[in-house]
Amino acid sequence: MRAAPPPGGGASRYAAADRGQASFPNTPGPEHGRWVINEVLLTLGFGLVSAAILSLSAVGFSLEYAVTNIANLSHGEILTVGAYAAYLVQRQTGSLLAAAIAAALAGGCLALAVHTTVIERFVSRGTPRMSIFIATLGLSFVIQNALVIIFGATNVAYSIPQGAPRHIGPFLWTPTEITILASAVAITAALYGIIHHTKFGKALRAVSQNRDLARVTGIHARRIAAATWFLAGLVAGYAGFVLAESVGTFNPYFGFSFFLITLAAAVAGGLGKAFSTMAGAVLVGIALQFTGAYVSSSYELAFAFAILALVILVRPRGLFSRGRLSVFE
Amino acid sequence: MSQYLVSVLTEGSIFTVMALGLNVIWGWGGDFDLAFYGYVALGAYMTLVLTIGRAVPPAEFILGLQLPYPLAVLLGALAAGLMGLVVGLIALRHLRGIYFSIVTLGAVYVLYVLAGQYVPLFDGYNGVSGLFDPMGSTFGLTYQTYQYFFLGLCIAVAVVVFLLLERLSGSRFGLALRSTREDERATAAFGRNIYWLKLRGYVLGAVVGGLAGGLFAGYLTAFNPSAWSPIETIVVYASILVGGKGNGRGVVLGVFLIAVLLQESTRFLPQVPNNPELVLALREMVIGLVLIAFIRLRPQGLLPERRHLDREGGPGTGGPPPLGAGASHAAPQVGSAEPDAS
Repeated sequence: MRAAPPPGGGASRYAAADRGQASFPNTPGPEHGRWVINEVLLTLGFGLVSAAILSLSAVGFSLEYAVTNIANLSHGEILTVGAYAAYLVQRQTGSLLAAAIAAALAGGCLALAVHTTVIERFVSRGTPRMSIFIATLGLSFVIQNALVIIFGATNVAYSIPQGAPRHIGPFLWTPTEITILASAVAITAALYGIIHHTKFGKALRAVSQNRDLARVTGIHARRIAAATWFLAGLVAGYAGFVLAESVGTFNPYFGFSFFLITLAAAVAGGLGKAFSTMAGAVLVGIALQFTGAYVSSSYELAFAFAILALVILVRPRGLFSRGRLSVFE
Repeated sequence: MSQYLVSVLTEGSIFTVMALGLNVIWGWGGDFDLAFYGYVALGAYMTLVLTIGRAVPPAEFILGLQLPYPLAVLLGALAAGLMGLVVGLIALRHLRGIYFSIVTLGAVYVLYVLAGQYVPLFDGYNGVSGLFDPMGSTFGLTYQTYQYFFLGLCIAVAVVVFLLLERLSGSRFGLALRSTREDERATAAFGRNIYWLKLRGYVLGAVVGGLAGGLFAGYLTAFNPSAWSPIETIVVYASILVGGKGNGRGVVLGVFLIAVLLQESTRFLPQVPNNPELVLALREMVIGLVLIAFIRLRPQGLLPERRHLDREGGPGTGGPPPLGAGASHAAPQVGSAEPDAS
């Protein structure tokens, strides 16, 4: 995952975790066993951070899918735009909080714009779903290249002092990572509250289950869909900010490459069900971190899709949904 | 100038072959296959490693044979077909629509990551190079005359592929494959094995893609991961969509408009000193916009596919094409397509 610590960084952090334990990694025995468990727990800790970012990105994608039935291939660009907005605002104000808010708002506005200018127009004209899917791929191309034209294709360094890593239970996290984890938990809780305990959430669920029936009962489906996309964009924009923060660098293609992992994770979890998607994303995020630690981080994307292919063959509707996919869907 | 024209035409004919291959998968079968550029790349890589001889350390890659170029191109196309078979076996079995696209996208990224990261395969990011003027020495051609020779070769291949596919398009196989695009359930009801039909179409498309890759390798003399990214497929898709999805002539027109005219028109724009990617980015942006605009305004393309109407019934129904009287040899094998219909 792009959120993985940079090469070398990971090793030094393992070393830090080992400090004062006088362990001998190559000597078999109880000490060795403890060392292995420690390492596994540390990897799990980093995996949780990656998984948090991945699940934020995936839940946005899933919400967009839920209300329009369109897999938005330009979702990654929402993350990219969030990262650029955060970078620009932070350079102006120097405040991380302002950067986070700017990222979320930029993401929300972009998602809303994509929905009202492209998706909704296609949907209301009865364009086949597959064609809209293709149009979002074109859109992703357009936004990426617009960013190249505005900012250039070069990498932007976005390094934030991470602070000294701290032990929390068996895990080792920097203050930045703790913020990321805490905010991901908070956002998930907020989303749960919105989706399951507000009138808007009820309408959202109705539109996602059956748009026409929802309209019959007096729900303004288009407005609900637009609001959901805005909400999804807020979350995705914020995800772009924390992703950029933890990777330390980004460019106009940065969101798209992360989106590919998001896509694998979201479909593995089950599309359109916000919390199944998140659970899938957490599992995939942790699995990828272990791949990165024990095989090679270069193969992460391939592994993500291998997991997806397995899941799709066994449970086509995703890990956490029942029922099989019909060929005639 | 004539040099330039020759290279543009060569590139155009290679893109035509590529687009014709994808048209079988997307235009006839209706499957939005994002793995397609992988077949082109595999064809190109295989052609290179089969012709340029043993790897000189530190470079390393598989095979390293010195076969004649035409044979290598055919073997490369075959390799692409094999990969298409594997991907198709997995992806076409239960998956349609976006699920199919996502799995094929995954497949092409697996190949992309392997080609870029697993050095013993195709020398990682360095890629494979050194295919200079294949067959040039056999015919005793100079550098100048060789360009014309290779252009002729590419045009000949494009014409042959076009004619073959046009023939196949009206055949029972072509019509049946298209009927799966319109209504799988109806096709299955007529006793066609959908999985088998789609798989054959998919492998055929992959083979043609691999063929285009082999020509591409001869044209570029080298291939590495920076020469292709999975997203390149979008240019080919835009060409097909603009020209007319499912219609061979339309596809040729689309390639001429998008892959040749649009790509080349930006070549003469002045370079912007502090943003070298600007012109390239503008071109790609225009391709994306054209794609969206055509889906919105003219999804059938400039030269729409001729709809096969029911010969018995009245005109204008626009229903699925007639399936011919040849149901006798196609044993009813609805079984493989049906189990998940519940």
